[in-house]
Amino acid sequence: MEESPLHPFELHNYIPINLFGLDISINKAVIMMWVVVGLAAFLLVKAGRSRRMVPTKLQSLGELLVEFIRDIILDTMGKGGLKFFPFIATLFVFILFSNLLGLIPGTYTVTSQIIVTAVFALTVYAISIVMGFILHGVKFLGILVPPGTPGWLLPLMIPIELVSQLARPISLAVRLFANMTAGHTILGVLFGLAIGGGLLIGWLPFAFTIAMNGLEVGIAFIQAYIFTVLTCVYIGDAFHLHGADDHAH
Amino acid sequence: MRAGLDIDMPPSNDPFYAGLGQAVRIGTELLAALIVGGGLGWAADTYLFASGPWGMVVGLIVGVTAGIRNVMRAAQNWSK
Repeated sequence: MEESPLHPFELHNYIPINLFGLDISINKAVIMMWVVVGLAAFLLVKAGRSRRMVPTKLQSLGELLVEFIRDIILDTMGKGGLKFFPFIATLFVFILFSNLLGLIPGTYTVTSQIIVTAVFALTVYAISIVMGFILHGVKFLGILVPPGTPGWLLPLMIPIELVSQLARPISLAVRLFANMTAGHTILGVLFGLAIGGGLLIGWLPFAFTIAMNGLEVGIAFIQAYIFTVLTCVYIGDAFHLHGADDHAH
Repeated sequence: MRAGLDIDMPPSNDPFYAGLGQAVRIGTELLAALIVGGGLGWAADTYLFASGPWGMVVGLIVGVTAGIRNVMRAAQNWSK
């Protein structure tokens, strides 16, 4: 009973593999990632296969998903952002599926490992920086100076803007990781109370567990959505230097 | 197309989930800027100048400012 509520996040290597000093062992997270990718690919390919005028249920779900992501991109980046549709859609679907599948008891939430979310966030940020320098050259550094800044404020504004820029990938990564970890920890603690409480009082935390699980489904959607919107905003910033933030909601 | 199906993404329509999303976003926005500011200051203290606590103090202040600025920037777009 004296088990840490963070215990479910520990990873144990099932099949230790060591490739040239690189630890690529197969563990829970890796297997879960395969499941997520496999299921997402299977469902989406199946949804895309049937091109009927009157869509099947799966097909209309797929169309809904595509339209939803397309709307996000158009809202935040404009027409030029549609070039990034495959990347952003992949990101959204992967995060959404791993958040949702992780809620099934007995599975594992891939996005509760900070290395996973950090790699996503750093990739997004690297894309936005590289795109910015390709499109604008040295002028891209102007992103550090908000429009209308008087000259004498520059020594103050540039460090602040630099920190706020560097905070972007960290906030992206930490937000997803922390929400997933916190949600599952709460579920674990509540369920532990339910088991420990017995029949007399245990039904109360059990009811809370179920309610929290419902909320967590919402959180799973929201986190995938926020990650996608912010990805679009950050990449969009690289397109049009100032003012891209104004389109975000 | 939208009307054809009952399922819709919660964040876009339901005000409860929209508000939850905004709240969740703002919290980490503050935290991340604080981490970066304080971290840069601490790194400057430790590895570059050996300037005692002052780098971290200045870094934290810059981090707080940047965090509040980020939050303001995010919130401005919601009030419209």
